[in-house]
Amino acid sequence: MQDALIRKLENFETFTAADRAALRAFAPRTRQVGARTDLIREGDTPENVHLILDGYACRYKILPDGQRQIMAFFVPGDFCDLNVFILDQMDHNIGTISPCQVVGIPRQAIDELMAQYPLVTRALLWCALVDEAVLREWLVNIGSRQADQRIAHLFCELLLRLETVGRVTENSYAFPFTQTDIADTMGLSDVQISRTLRELRRLELITLKHRVLTILDVEQLKAYCGFNPNYLHLRNTRWSGRRQVPWLSDVQEG
Amino acid sequence: MGGQDNVETLVVLQPIAVDTASLDRTGMLVLANGKLVAILVRLEVPEHARCGAWFLEVGLGRLAGVRPPAFDTLEDATRWVRQHLKG
Repeated sequence: MQDALIRKLENFETFTAADRAALRAFAPRTRQVGARTDLIREGDTPENVHLILDGYACRYKILPDGQRQIMAFFVPGDFCDLNVFILDQMDHNIGTISPCQVVGIPRQAIDELMAQYPLVTRALLWCALVDEAVLREWLVNIGSRQADQRIAHLFCELLLRLETVGRVTENSYAFPFTQTDIADTMGLSDVQISRTLRELRRLELITLKHRVLTILDVEQLKAYCGFNPNYLHLRNTRWSGRRQVPWLSDVQEG
Repeated sequence: MGGQDNVETLVVLQPIAVDTASLDRTGMLVLANGKLVAILVRLEVPEHARCGAWFLEVGLGRLAGVRPPAFDTLEDATRWVRQHLKG
């Protein structure tokens, strides 16, 4: 498992042998979790940072009237709660959508890594910053795009995120979400989701069969919703060897 | 005091065709005490989970932004509108 974690983080930084040894030193707990199961709930004290190895999960809140709002989707290779491990109490829930293989990394292990290994710290920071960028884009999506464009945007985003972790085959990927999941993510109703899916099918942009989404025309779908993948920072990921962040090195040296 | 609670909101439905950019087009204007408060649309596209139910397409005033599940009947929808406007 550590190797998967190291591979994930090395998308962002090239580690030294010492960094890798440090990441292999702690014993993370890997477990299989069923679909629709909470990994951690609002009010809980976060003990572990969760990393999804397989399956899909989400970050959500439940309003007093029972309405659920999903604020993030997690796919394989994603940390669920890197941003909360320093905090005392969870202010939201994290739950699985499909059955997941999840790694729990004790927060103390993360604390120790961050205290001693600046490259690992920077890789973790990179993950957290990309998560934040995705959240910003979702805010734009919900606040400013029309219903059908919102959904198309999500499909494009998932395609790119899943592609980087090798979970896309011929523009198809597992889509275990219900219409209600998508509705609760987009601030829309099930009915609007159902209409939009029908419209995207009619335009021959997608098919959705047996919980597999196929994007028939990626460029058209991107154009349809004005998708710009810059917020996923994928280019930097691929070019990590050539990337430089001198200002951050300066700060650390100072 | 409380007298106003005893006066039921008068909810009237008026048929209207609605453009939903889909095949769902049979609608009802919902008027409460003479004011337009909502538009209901019958779910006719077979892909809908609850085909035949009535969906709150648009809510106005106190019904704005509310997302109730689709209603089985117009009576259910009318009851919900009345209750929601009372609170």
